[in-house]
Amino acid sequence: MSDTKANHPTKLARPSGLSFKDKVAELLPEGGNLNLCLTCGACSAGCPATGLEGMDPRKFLRMAALGMDEELTTTPWVWMCSMCTRCVHVCPMRINIPQLVYHARKSWPEDKKPRGIVNSCNAAMKTEGFSAMGASSEDFKFVVEDMVEEVRESQPGQENLEAPMDKHGATYFLNQNSREPVTEPDEMVPLWKILNMAGCDWTYGSVGWAAENYCMFEADDEKWEQIVRTKIKAVEDLGCKYWLNTE
Amino acid sequence: MNIELLPLTGVRSVEGEAGDFTVHLTQAPRYIDPEKCIACGECSRKCPSKVSNDFNAGLDKRKAVHILYDQTVPLKYAIDAEHCIYLQKGKCGNCAKVCPADAVNFADTPREFSVRVGSVVLAPGIRTFDPSAFDSYAYSRIPDVITSLEYERLLSASGPCQGHVLRPSDGTEPKRIAWLQCVGSRGNNKCDNDYCSNVCCMYALKQSLVTADHAHGEGHDQAIFFMDVRAHNKSFEQYYNQAMDKGVRILRARPHSFLPGEENRGVRVGYVNEAGEPLSEDFDMVVLSVGLEAPAEAKQLAETFDIKLDHWNFALTDPFDPVATSRKGVYVCGGFQEPKDIPRSVMEASAAASAATAGLTKGRGTRTAEREVPAAVDVLGEPPRIGVFVCSCGINISSVIDVQDVADYARTLPGVVHVENNMFSCSQDTQVAIAEVIRKHRLNRVVVAACTPRTHEPLFRETLEAAGLNKYLFAMANIRNHGSWVHATDPKGATRKARDQVRMAVASARHLAPLKEVTLGVTPSALVVGGGVAGMTAALGIAEQGFAVHLVERETELGGNARMLRVTQGRFETAPYLASLEKAVRGHAGITLHAGTTVADVEGFVGNFVTRLDSGTELRHGAIVLATGGVGLKPEGMYRYGEHPRIMTHQQIDAGFMDGSVDPKALQSVVFIQCVGSREPGRPYCSRVCCTHTVESALHIKRTNPDARVVVLYRDMRTYGQRELLYKEAREAGVIFSRFSLDHRPVVDVVNGTITVTFRDHVLQQDLTVEADLLGLASAIVAPDVNGLAQMVKATLSDEGWYVEAHSKLRPVDFVTDGMFMAGLGHYPKPLEESVTQARAAVSRVTTVLSRTEMTLAGTVATINKAKCVGCAVCWNVCPYNAISPDEKGFAEVNEALCKGCGLCAAACRSGAPDLRGFTTSDIMAQVSAMLG
Repeated sequence: MSDTKANHPTKLARPSGLSFKDKVAELLPEGGNLNLCLTCGACSAGCPATGLEGMDPRKFLRMAALGMDEELTTTPWVWMCSMCTRCVHVCPMRINIPQLVYHARKSWPEDKKPRGIVNSCNAAMKTEGFSAMGASSEDFKFVVEDMVEEVRESQPGQENLEAPMDKHGATYFLNQNSREPVTEPDEMVPLWKILNMAGCDWTYGSVGWAAENYCMFEADDEKWEQIVRTKIKAVEDLGCKYWLNTE
Repeated sequence: MNIELLPLTGVRSVEGEAGDFTVHLTQAPRYIDPEKCIACGECSRKCPSKVSNDFNAGLDKRKAVHILYDQTVPLKYAIDAEHCIYLQKGKCGNCAKVCPADAVNFADTPREFSVRVGSVVLAPGIRTFDPSAFDSYAYSRIPDVITSLEYERLLSASGPCQGHVLRPSDGTEPKRIAWLQCVGSRGNNKCDNDYCSNVCCMYALKQSLVTADHAHGEGHDQAIFFMDVRAHNKSFEQYYNQAMDKGVRILRARPHSFLPGEENRGVRVGYVNEAGEPLSEDFDMVVLSVGLEAPAEAKQLAETFDIKLDHWNFALTDPFDPVATSRKGVYVCGGFQEPKDIPRSVMEASAAASAATAGLTKGRGTRTAEREVPAAVDVLGEPPRIGVFVCSCGINISSVIDVQDVADYARTLPGVVHVENNMFSCSQDTQVAIAEVIRKHRLNRVVVAACTPRTHEPLFRETLEAAGLNKYLFAMANIRNHGSWVHATDPKGATRKARDQVRMAVASARHLAPLKEVTLGVTPSALVVGGGVAGMTAALGIAEQGFAVHLVERETELGGNARMLRVTQGRFETAPYLASLEKAVRGHAGITLHAGTTVADVEGFVGNFVTRLDSGTELRHGAIVLATGGVGLKPEGMYRYGEHPRIMTHQQIDAGFMDGSVDPKALQSVVFIQCVGSREPGRPYCSRVCCTHTVESALHIKRTNPDARVVVLYRDMRTYGQRELLYKEAREAGVIFSRFSLDHRPVVDVVNGTITVTFRDHVLQQDLTVEADLLGLASAIVAPDVNGLAQMVKATLSDEGWYVEAHSKLRPVDFVTDGMFMAGLGHYPKPLEESVTQARAAVSRVTTVLSRTEMTLAGTVATINKAKCVGCAVCWNVCPYNAISPDEKGFAEVNEALCKGCGLCAAACRSGAPDLRGFTTSDIMAQVSAMLG
């Protein structure tokens, strides 16, 4: 029998206590099915972050299964996941890989987390609208009104275009990614046109208007929960029926 | 004759209990009188209502009046009322107008009736999974993504494109085809089928191999995307290797989603290979290997019969009694029990038959009918008086061949005294008419010029018998399949050929002699060799059928391999079952146990065997069951076996679990290595039971000691069927499964009394080392040396030492030699429940022999002209049935009880000594001379 000698094998320590994966599983409904992997690779085939940092969802989950917690909680790959959940969607075992990624992010100390995400979260917490760009609600309101006026004047057929702000009792409360009003205001217009064309009764709100939630991407539970709760309250305060978040 | 087919019939309700059920049935109207229908197909040809053809997976159309497919049983048309224009709107009625047999009956009504039966067997089959649920596979959106059932029909010669596959999007031939396995199996995302469907790996390999065989020219490619290749049954692994040798690509990857190719033709497939690299390929077509589900009517059936179903709506059964449902007297077989392939379904059908009849032996033969045949007139010495019947087969023959001309021609042939042309020679009234003609004209030979003897010869022979003529005085000319069908564009040529064929058949008929069928008595007892679970189950079953059984076991104890088996199917303990089985066997008056002895010699043939045991005892019996078992390989020289007491085979671990010497609580780290001695070049088969066995052991450790780390190193996890649920449970419990390839086998070291195992993890592609407190080796199941026994009973063994069955699918428990059957591991490694099934199947097969007081053998057997024989041994060497042996002078002698009339001896003999009755050399020469004119 041609047994091959392995080169520098990694030694798996004897099991001691709960692994990182086991702890995460305790937090998730049905344990997130984290143990059930068939290693089929469907997740990796559909993941936009496959190959980055030499990692993919299957490998990431495998490290968790093998109890390689050190690698798991230090690989920068977790920050490349977009939380799109394409992996769960096709996984034969519905394994909640994004939640495992999320908890791996959580285990990073704040000062080691990617600055862009941390700064965006911090910026959002400083504004009433939770804008990661740091845009104030006043600025947002000004840009929207300015844009509406421009379209009404320059585009025939759009004389009645509306983009209401703080309209009490509107059916839909619409969020807006704050990148648009700050850098590309005209990109907001197509959605307005669609909503108006469809006859939707909608509004922006000066409180919690920004759609993004970088505190969630940062895996800062306290902050992203505060953002979500404040936004829900804003929707309720305006008496709106539906909350539309485009992110 | 003793099977009443009730098509279109559903069960309304059931009363009574085992031994005396009353089943209330409703038969839906057929609108065609099956007594009158001659299956000519005229109705269907003239029917204007076209309907999507379910049999071809909706890929083509059928008519409202139709047969399901060409081999439909019974071969009778039926009207699908929902799509019949006449039944819906009162117009049309074309079928009734064109039917030559007046078989259409639009006034047909549902028929309610009841039958009284002692037992019930449920065999409703399965259905295939609908893959529309998976949006990512785009079955509903991309035309060239199809199901395996659709592909099966495309590939079939009787399918919508006559076997020349054309893809749905543009009707061109697909060259690059991919299969995706486990669609609707082994998953609980968007479906609830977390079991394995058992058959898909093999059907995908078959489809790819058949496709590869048909592919000509450049650019052909077959690729199978899979998780584990489950080629676990007899000769499956070899088939898998054959597919790879043919160039079928076996890709261990699962694509995320399918995208349409340009203009929505073909399919773009993105996947990640084993090394983790993202790849993309364009295929002309993708086949989804859809899984099997319980039939749609399962719930209702269960309610009607008051039986329990499992979580997936399959019939709930017990591994120790696999064909019994939860209700006494109601049995189950086939896919409804668990998804399975043909050989196992056929075995299970026989098993269900024996289980269903075990309680009804008192009534055996009381409600069966036998055909009355008048004594045959003696025609010896009479000059030939040949009758020729030329069939029109509706217009099947007569639209091409001038049947009147053929009939007129037949009248001119020597020996012919009567000729007629029939519209349908095979119809019931024509049969009666032919019998009358035979008697009236004192015909002593009959020729029918019609279709194939394969389907119709038995019918015409019966007609001869009914008319008092020896049934072998019959010849057929196939002027339809070999004439009108293949020469449809050349009527004159076809007519000329039909004349030739009739002339040959008449020449043959002149040579025909009446043949005698030998009748043999039957000794109503059986010999069972082997006292393991299979042997004991077979012995008990045969005894329950009311026959005497001699059970021979080499060892002094009964039980065989099962004694070393802790559980089966995860949690069913073997020991109590084994004890009760042994008790029943020892306690049954019909079973004579011969323990501690072996078979010394076997002579005789079906119905009449004589066996001598080493103990000197002589036994007479009518049938034999070989249940000689298998042996666990001692893995000497592999993975440091023997160098540490805690490096053990799975049987040893089971024994340790049972006697307490292996305590799961004391284990912190356990490693199992699979395929030890299986699927290797020297032993290329899969031992089939080891994956499940290891999973059972791993689970036992985890259930007892959840903190233990258990690593299973495998090549493909082959936990087929519902065993997949154990595999899932083991993963859920935290057992780690890591795959290795033959290039990177695990390396075991024993240093200072510590076992370490180093393996390359297939996902991380990284070498890992673990210490193991216990190393389990899933060593192969091998065949014991049964050469001596096999020679005595003339049984064939495969290269690997397994008993060879008469037909792997259709006769999976029969030996080629009549009256001999097999069960258990001697046939191939299998789990306990399948041994039980096969043993019960053997019971059923044995019963078909022993329940007869005498057996009639076919008259078409070989004879030896001893004047020509030189005793060269060629004939008895080529005879596949061991029917020829040298007589006391060294000349060949045929045992007519063993001869199957294959004619190999006649073809092989250099001096022309053997001849085959009913197909003699002079007969063949007469036909050849007649053909040459």
